[in-house]
Amino acid sequence: MAAPAVLAEQLSKTFRVAEKEPGFAGTLRHFVRRRYRRIEAVRGVSFEIAPGEVVGFLGPNGAGKTTTLKMLTGLIQPSSGRARVLGRDPYRREAGLLRELTLVMGNKQQLIWDLPVLDSLRVNAAVYEIPWAEAQHRTAELAEMLGVAEVLRQPVRKLSLGERMKAELLASLLHRPRVLFLDEPTLGLDVNAQLAVRRFLKAYRERYGATLLLTSHYMADIEALAERVIVIHEGRLLYDGPLGGLVERFAPFKEVRLMLARPAAAAAFARFGEVEEAGGLRVRLLVEKDRLTGVVAELLANFELRDLSVDEPPLEEVIGRVFAKGAV
Amino acid sequence: MLLAKARTLLAVHFAYMMEYRAEIFFWILGGLVPFFFMAAWSEAARQGYTLYSPLEYARYFFAVFVARQLAIVWANWTFSDWVRTGKLSFYLLQPLDPMWRLLADHVGERGVRLPVLVVIGGVFAALFPGALVWPGWGALALGLAASTLAFLLSFFVAYSVGLLAFWLEDATEIFELWYVLVLFFSGMLAPLSLYPEAVQRVLLWTPFPHLVYLPAALWSGLEPADARGFAVLFVWTLVFFAVSRLLWRLGRGRYSAMGA
Repeated sequence: MAAPAVLAEQLSKTFRVAEKEPGFAGTLRHFVRRRYRRIEAVRGVSFEIAPGEVVGFLGPNGAGKTTTLKMLTGLIQPSSGRARVLGRDPYRREAGLLRELTLVMGNKQQLIWDLPVLDSLRVNAAVYEIPWAEAQHRTAELAEMLGVAEVLRQPVRKLSLGERMKAELLASLLHRPRVLFLDEPTLGLDVNAQLAVRRFLKAYRERYGATLLLTSHYMADIEALAERVIVIHEGRLLYDGPLGGLVERFAPFKEVRLMLARPAAAAAFARFGEVEEAGGLRVRLLVEKDRLTGVVAELLANFELRDLSVDEPPLEEVIGRVFAKGAV
Repeated sequence: MLLAKARTLLAVHFAYMMEYRAEIFFWILGGLVPFFFMAAWSEAARQGYTLYSPLEYARYFFAVFVARQLAIVWANWTFSDWVRTGKLSFYLLQPLDPMWRLLADHVGERGVRLPVLVVIGGVFAALFPGALVWPGWGALALGLAASTLAFLLSFFVAYSVGLLAFWLEDATEIFELWYVLVLFFSGMLAPLSLYPEAVQRVLLWTPFPHLVYLPAALWSGLEPADARGFAVLFVWTLVFFAVSRLLWRLGRGRYSAMGA
């Protein structure tokens, strides 16, 4: 078996955070005697990612996803445990490893705000020791894949959010990293831009065989790119396996959608399962898989239906339940 | 490769600073403090109380002004901001020590500042005919060397203060203490030969007089340029370079990449 591209072994991170009460008295107390609280952001998380694999990294806000990514990219030092990328310790910042990885942060920007995108790319080319002719060739290729060739000569501050995010991706990938850590790469983008970024990441991965670890609040990103997901909650690993398995494990129910011929009260559906939507002509129910056949037969017998469909529940709903439960 | 990196960083940071040319112009105007001292000392000279003539004071304080302008640094502020906002994260991801980026930022800015200094020099020469005299190539070069060392020392002090942001929430103002010492002991308030001899003897082993006074003395040709100043500046530059490396090594472990 090939050596893992990314390895997290009992990775933990604890932060010490100063706490202060509001108001004048709180300020004085804070000045005289500072109080600290220890926050265990990540607690003994272990996983391996094979070269070329695409993994979705899921968890609610504050679950420890970003802290894990920061440890895996060497930005912060783990409190305990071991992080390895391509067999090396990222915290040591060896130039050879830094040339092989990147971290894209959807809420942050590395491009120089007041200068055209090309100036930031020139700096990156120099820093990564890419000859400018080669860098221009790569820029043209990536810009075409991302559809941003037209905006590279414009100051970053003049770009739309979508254009800026694509330009950020371009800047982060100019050195053709083999391992990509992506933290909310589609945050705040409209549907078209999200789609374009997803397509690009998929194409990049196929072209260069890159390994991707991706966090996103948009389940569409995860569904489009990842076959495997890792779920963490309150710093602990909850699930590591195929995306389909997550639905299987955490959603032992199916989604039944009805279009009624005549409105019916929500209470009329309570005995069939969890009523997610009702009260008009549209009804959405979550029905346990074991009862599905019987429930569908009963619905057909008791209601006049225009339409009936049975599907897997939306991934967002499954994930939401996992987080709400907080345990396997 | 190293040269290519340096060239690109300088070119891009120069372009970046050009975007802020108006701001830099007003920043330079804010550094006209030595001219106020020049006015005071010139007036004292007119009344016959001091060593030099008013024109000689004009020459000295113009040299002080230029020396000060070439040694201005803001690494404390920028680095502290990088730590506080998490911007440092991007620089940590790249195979280049963030210090070089910071240094390029300063050197690139000098490219924008220098032409403005030349214009101010022209205006000064017109306002005070005879005040500025050609110091000769040797003194000019030595003054520039002293000024470069002074800049590097100031940079490493400011950078070290900025690195304290790994421990403190905002460390930038600590650098003000350095500025106060520079103001009093660098020759900005008055030529050092006017200080008591005992004070002069002690001061000459500290970096402060050499930061401004050494290049100013070489360019103005009025004050005795102490050659030991080069050695003192060099040693203090090495000391603060070592301090900054140590703070970087110790501080990095405390970085939480907040906001990133």
